[in-house]
Amino acid sequence: MTAVPDIERPPGWFESDLLHDFLRSPVAVAAACVCLVLLALALGADFIAPYNTNDPASANVIDARLPPGSVGMMGGHFLLGTDPQGRDMLSAIIYGLRASLIVGISSVLLAAAVGITLGLFCGYFGGIADVIIMRVADVQLSFPTILIALLIDGVTRTVVERATHDMLAVPVLVIAIAASYWVQYARTVRGLVLVERDKEYVLAAKVTGVAPLRILATHIQPNIMGPVLVIATINLALAILAEATLSFLGVGVPPTKPSLGSLVRIGNEFLFSGDWWISIFPGAMLVSLSLSVSLLGDWLRDALDPKLRDAW
Amino acid sequence: MPGNLLSVRDLRVEIATRRGVFAAVDDVSFDIAEGEVFGVVGESGAGKSLTGAAIIGLLDAPLRLARGEIVFAGKRIDNLDAEAMRSLRGLHIGAVFQDPLTSLNPLLTVGRQLVQTIRAHLDLSPEEARRRAAQLLAEVGIPAPRERLESYPHELSGGMRQRIVLALAFCCEPRLVIADEPTTALDVSVQAQVIELLKRMCRERGTSVMLITHDMGVIAEIADRIAVMYAGRVVEIGPARAMLMRPAHPYTAGLMASILNMRRVDGDLSQIEGNMPRLAAIPAGCAFHPRCSVRLQQCDHERPILAAAGDTAAACWLAAARCQSVTNLQGPGRA
Amino acid sequence: MGSFVVQRLSQTLFVVLAAALTCFVLMRYVGDPVNNMVGQAASLADREAMRRNLGLDDPVILQFLRFLRDIVTGDLGISYRFGVPVSKLLLDRLPATLELSICAMLVAACLGLPLGVWTALHRRSALSQVLLVLSLVGVALPTFIIGIVLILIFSVWLGWLPSFGRGAIVPLGPHWTTGLLTVSGLKALVLPSITLGLFQMTLIMRLVRAEMLEVLRTDYIRFARARGLPMRTINYDHALRNTLIPVITIVGLQFGNIFAFSIIVETVFQWPGLGLLVIQSIQFADVPLLASYLVLIALGFALINLTVDILYAAIDPRVRAGLTVSRAGS
Repeated sequence: MTAVPDIERPPGWFESDLLHDFLRSPVAVAAACVCLVLLALALGADFIAPYNTNDPASANVIDARLPPGSVGMMGGHFLLGTDPQGRDMLSAIIYGLRASLIVGISSVLLAAAVGITLGLFCGYFGGIADVIIMRVADVQLSFPTILIALLIDGVTRTVVERATHDMLAVPVLVIAIAASYWVQYARTVRGLVLVERDKEYVLAAKVTGVAPLRILATHIQPNIMGPVLVIATINLALAILAEATLSFLGVGVPPTKPSLGSLVRIGNEFLFSGDWWISIFPGAMLVSLSLSVSLLGDWLRDALDPKLRDAW
Repeated sequence: MPGNLLSVRDLRVEIATRRGVFAAVDDVSFDIAEGEVFGVVGESGAGKSLTGAAIIGLLDAPLRLARGEIVFAGKRIDNLDAEAMRSLRGLHIGAVFQDPLTSLNPLLTVGRQLVQTIRAHLDLSPEEARRRAAQLLAEVGIPAPRERLESYPHELSGGMRQRIVLALAFCCEPRLVIADEPTTALDVSVQAQVIELLKRMCRERGTSVMLITHDMGVIAEIADRIAVMYAGRVVEIGPARAMLMRPAHPYTAGLMASILNMRRVDGDLSQIEGNMPRLAAIPAGCAFHPRCSVRLQQCDHERPILAAAGDTAAACWLAAARCQSVTNLQGPGRA
Repeated sequence: MGSFVVQRLSQTLFVVLAAALTCFVLMRYVGDPVNNMVGQAASLADREAMRRNLGLDDPVILQFLRFLRDIVTGDLGISYRFGVPVSKLLLDRLPATLELSICAMLVAACLGLPLGVWTALHRRSALSQVLLVLSLVGVALPTFIIGIVLILIFSVWLGWLPSFGRGAIVPLGPHWTTGLLTVSGLKALVLPSITLGLFQMTLIMRLVRAEMLEVLRTDYIRFARARGLPMRTINYDHALRNTLIPVITIVGLQFGNIFAFSIIVETVFQWPGLGLLVIQSIQFADVPLLASYLVLIALGFALINLTVDILYAAIDPRVRAGLTVSRAGS
């Protein structure tokens, strides 16, 4: 029968409703707070972490594998214990957090840039390029991220020698992860462009000689922000997980600058000897990061556009 | 009133939104007699469909039946539990919805959906149910009914599907059928056929129909009595002929005038200025007064009640005043 | 139906050919195959001989066709690292991965489906809300963390279940080995299957719930209620049937995902399957192995897609009739 009757909405409801929803959802507020805290930790790593674990000189093998709360040979305090090389766990996970976030955010930015550009291009110009790119996108969507990232990373390793590869590891990782996620942006933007492209103001702009792309951009821009933001947040959660997984497998960040995933990998070997803290603390940090970003992204998607649920 | 099949009194359906609780159906009362075709007209959003849904207990959150009394065949049905309501539906009160393309489950054959419904209410064996289903299909004018039982809905045209929907509504011989916009989604040529079919099936079985629609043409053709709804309220109610010829409420008059009159080819299309108010912005007093060309002083703060106005009953101060003055003219003997 | 199958088959073929081409390019042009096989110390004459032997001087098209023929006959080259034929390596490890994947999928489906249906039908109950929150967590947890935590609890602290290897395995025929026939084999399967299946389970549960809620809102369900059909019939005969269609296709596609995630689980549990092999092949730049794995995966995915499409057509009469109904997720 009839849909729920319509209630009049005054203009400019977007901001106030969103904020209202946000403040009323304890989950969203909690998730956002955790995200902010973690972001602050990562940005201020150099000031907050007791030791700079990226500096090999800061670790002493004598202090290896000490349990949480111990005091080292030189009097250093290790709140969360040390790893097999004597590095302080607390500092390691703070720096690891930073590494994870750098890779995660960079890959999201790259994926968004590539995806949005391709989406604009395909939507506006169409033609054979559009068909090919969308076909590639379709095929790519059916392949899991891990495999695509593994493929790219694997190929790079075979092409490039080990030493240069270590230097290139982070950019390659970022590209590998971004390569798996550009599709959603492209599709959404392309859809929006297709809707707007055939509208009269664009045709009118063409006729009067005004650059139609410019008009299109100004009209699309307000519609884009919402969906792109949702996609980006969920993307960030997935990218963080992807980086952690690849690093855990040993094909992610180089061992000199470990991320949370690589730290878990290191600790994995010592589970049976009872040195649980080497794995668990980085794992816990990873889970908090991933969970808070995921929850935030989920809430954002439900609040801004429930239709996007189909997209993921 | 005794002898009425359905009696609705002071029905109120509320909807809870973020901005507050609003009445989508407000103090609606009417009766439907045995075998009569009762039309409920109004614009989209006037609350007609919700009234029908309330009667058969199909209001889902955030809608709810806040107040009112619904009596069917002498028994109250607004306060029944879920199971009692379920056995009422289909068996005593049938329903037909608007869109035949989406009313049938695309994954089940027509026969299966019919047999399921029949056996849910009547104690028949599967073969007997199948026979009855085929009979019904023949009755609604589906050719080769036995073969059609094995068809899937997507294999049939819109008109055929709506016939099947009618068959489903009537298959357990209900005494009342609520038809919500049964022809709106159909081609004009098919509409007439479906209306004819509905008329015939009701006549043959003595079934009452509550016909909800915004299509005045359909109403004019088959309704015995009509209620006009506006912003969730009944603004006028009475015999069809009187409503069509001598409407007392300004809104009803506007509705009737907006039906294209073939004879007045040279005139302008008449329409009522403005739009029906949204639920959150229903004006005080008479809901129609901002758009009314003959409003009185009191209309903007005093809500009118249904009162006799000639052959119909209308919720309008002007109509009431006119009727009163006519009565006064005619002397105190007539009331 | 026939033309539908033919069309999908040709698409499948296209994807596989594309994968084979990528593979060929990798093997032929990435690094120097001769270098890798012969070593640094070989003389120039030896290298020339090897080149001719491998047919590396022939036109590219000929090489590609030869490559295709080799794949079809099962000759996938020799692994740089192990020195044995790649096909033997792959076949040796395949049963382990397949067994693990199937068990994981069973876990995911047998738990995810009923839970999804239940949370859809009882959306307001407290248990539903709890399950939903848990499912959100389940989606955000990395698979390897789940594995490690399970190992910590059930292997290290409780000592109930093994944390690496397959246990005692029994050969079944010339090509297969199974862990299902021994107690230690079954025990070894438990933790890895749960780890691998947990993510899929939460996914399936949320998917089934969302689909079912959507179906329950449709006009035909409304009409079914208006006809007074009992709730049992409506929920299971109508709603569930309509829900399962998109769910089945997505579950089928997820099988491919399970294959990919098995790489992670095999690493955590030292499970001797294909995944572990692939990781090692990346670390040691073992191109023949990596490239062959790629083709195998592409073939597997293409076959899965094809099966799912055919299954979909078999279930939904509208697809059989040629009406395009958009497949959920595409």
